[in-house]
Amino acid sequence: MESTQALSRELQEIDSVITKYKGKHGELLGILEETQLLNEKKYLSEDALNHVALKTGVPLSRIYNVVTFYSFFNLKPQGKHTVIVCRGTACHTKGSKSLLGDVGLILDCSKQLEEEAGSFTTPDSQFTVSTVACFGQCALAPVVAIDGIIHSNVTTTKLQKLLNKISKGRKKS
Amino acid sequence: METKTVNIKINNSDYQVPQGVTILDAAKRVGIDIPTLCYCEDVSKNASCAVCVVEVKNARSLIRSCVTCVNEGMEITTNSTHVREARKTNVELILANHPKDCLSCLRNQNCELQEIAAELGVKETRFVRTKKLEPLDETSPSIIRDPNKCILCGRCIAVCSEVQTVYAIGLSNRGIQSKVSTYMEKGLGNVACTNCGQCALVCPTGAIVERDETDKVFDDLLNPEKYVVVQTAPAIRVGIGEAMGLAPGSLVTGQMVAGLRRLGFDKVFDTQFTADLTIIEEGHELIRRLTHKGTLPMITSCSPGWIKFAEHFFPNSLDHLSTCKSPQQMFGSVAKTYYAAKIGVDPRKIVVVSVMPCTAKKYEARRPEMMGAFEYWKERKGWSDDDAFYDIDYVLTTRELARMFKESGVRFAALPSEEFDSPLGESTGAAVIFGATGGVMEAALRTAYEVVTGTPLPDINFMPARGMEGIKEAEVDLDGTKIKVAVAHTLKNARKLLEQIEKGESPYAFIEIMTCPGGCLGGGGQPIPTTWNIRKMRADSIYAEDAHKPLRKSHENPQVQALYKEFLKEPLGEVSHHLLHTHYKKRGLFVWQQNGEGKNADQHAEKETN
Repeated sequence: MESTQALSRELQEIDSVITKYKGKHGELLGILEETQLLNEKKYLSEDALNHVALKTGVPLSRIYNVVTFYSFFNLKPQGKHTVIVCRGTACHTKGSKSLLGDVGLILDCSKQLEEEAGSFTTPDSQFTVSTVACFGQCALAPVVAIDGIIHSNVTTTKLQKLLNKISKGRKKS
Repeated sequence: METKTVNIKINNSDYQVPQGVTILDAAKRVGIDIPTLCYCEDVSKNASCAVCVVEVKNARSLIRSCVTCVNEGMEITTNSTHVREARKTNVELILANHPKDCLSCLRNQNCELQEIAAELGVKETRFVRTKKLEPLDETSPSIIRDPNKCILCGRCIAVCSEVQTVYAIGLSNRGIQSKVSTYMEKGLGNVACTNCGQCALVCPTGAIVERDETDKVFDDLLNPEKYVVVQTAPAIRVGIGEAMGLAPGSLVTGQMVAGLRRLGFDKVFDTQFTADLTIIEEGHELIRRLTHKGTLPMITSCSPGWIKFAEHFFPNSLDHLSTCKSPQQMFGSVAKTYYAAKIGVDPRKIVVVSVMPCTAKKYEARRPEMMGAFEYWKERKGWSDDDAFYDIDYVLTTRELARMFKESGVRFAALPSEEFDSPLGESTGAAVIFGATGGVMEAALRTAYEVVTGTPLPDINFMPARGMEGIKEAEVDLDGTKIKVAVAHTLKNARKLLEQIEKGESPYAFIEIMTCPGGCLGGGGQPIPTTWNIRKMRADSIYAEDAHKPLRKSHENPQVQALYKEFLKEPLGEVSHHLLHTHYKKRGLFVWQQNGEGKNADQHAEKETN
């Protein structure tokens, strides 16, 4: 019951976003971006996308085209924290592949990491791990972004410290 | 008006061509062939395949000729070693991810990729596969998609969105992960797809094909317990010849009938019989709506792609649809009631096979309400639901029938011309033209005009309804009452007329809509390729057949008259109401929610790959 209420509240909020962007340039992108941010788990649920299609008249296949094209959009619920490992050429030569493996070991999710290429979220919904092609910080390679902050010259030890800090903070609270 | 021309050189010869044409068109005009793959005349040119590349002097790289216009003084080379090697490499790159199971593909020997590889002399495929295997989309009763065979040419998306405005499929993801998808990968059967099959018609490979049911039909033909009858739509007689190696538009009614007898059908009947019947029912429905202040405009309901389109996109305007079932469905109802009783065969043993130019007919035949004959007998004989049967058992497309002919060694050249069986094989010229855009309108007016005014149409050839224009309109004087009528083909044009209706601005009393470009003769089940040129040739044959028929008005069909006298009693009567008329469903866009979450796509596909 509670979840249906939450959903109808979310859909109402989407309605006001749609009104805000009506007729503006890049209407659909703006609507989708704000809709994603509205969501507690920072993703575009199917219900939300259906609603956007219904209210804007944009075909469902077109919406799917847009949300799968831009890596910004998430179709799955996101964890509380994000870990993005750069897999660009420079970071690769500086060992980002093994860093990604380390993330898997530290967060105890090596298997998913292997199976779900691209992006996945830990079962406790705390971390979403993904990769990017390049942050543009090649001089500081290898880089890892955690909750939006780019950390440079990352080593296994540094990575472990950073992630442990978040995990500990989590346990305390 | 004089068009400006430009001087260009192609392969060192000078030519003058109109300004603004593409290099590809310019070359074609002067008799030079440039190979193309993703390019599809009148449908799409998104320059994705790079097979049509040519060399242009002073250009930095090779140029895609399908999207580049000629300039004054342009010097083009279409066959240099550089060009030929580049084309070959590009095709090899496409082949890297294309399965090599051509021998068992439905499009074997009718595949543009196969053809281009042969034409360009591709001798090796140097590149390894880079894409993961994807599950098939088998959610639709009409169409099967195999993403692994897809070369991302974009034709299907273009025809679905721009010609039909259905948007059932689109491109998803990007880079190496790009693919043609339905919304959230739900599958065609779980999204607002009209099953029109135009995507299958333009697909250069076997990535989108009809659901093949030939094996099931072969099984029933061999089953001595079954009484198997076949009906053929008007557009088959002008299409099947092509699929059997004859010239496009060949009119092969007689050989088609002979061929069907060779396959072993107990009776060879004609959907045109029930096309005539449709006209009687629909004509009277129109007159009733006109005289009893019914919902107008009334729109024809023969084209199942159009019906589903209306149910998805205009669910509030379904009252405008004629309640008449399509000729295919009327045939099933009549065959398993009137005809079954006439020959004394248990309707449960009768198998009705339709041959249609249409993939949407496969879906139509499986609509749960299409069990008119069973309901009829259930009431009279007290049969239980375990005995339930559909009015139509199988729907084959023109392409599937050609496959059956070939598999059975039926060769058209050696066949005599034979006649349809009686009584459900009798038809008039009005029924033949059901196969072309405008045909149902013309046929309906030939009858309705005469019923209302008591005199025949001044000219039986109602020319304003003919031709390939997207929307045609005319005015008819029905004994002092002037009505406006319109004819539309393709769903894009249907959408325009429906939007007009929803705004309350429609000036028409009667509208004919056919889903496919050109009408049924350009249907999604017809032979590949189907181009505008070929559509016109098929249309010419349709109108030629009409002109040669001794009877050209539906109400003059003696067997339809007998059907009313012996069984139906009167148009729009009690029996007709149950057997020949239907209702529609408001479907909207979120089809998967009605189908139970649309999970069956993935499950099915998983089974396949395992």
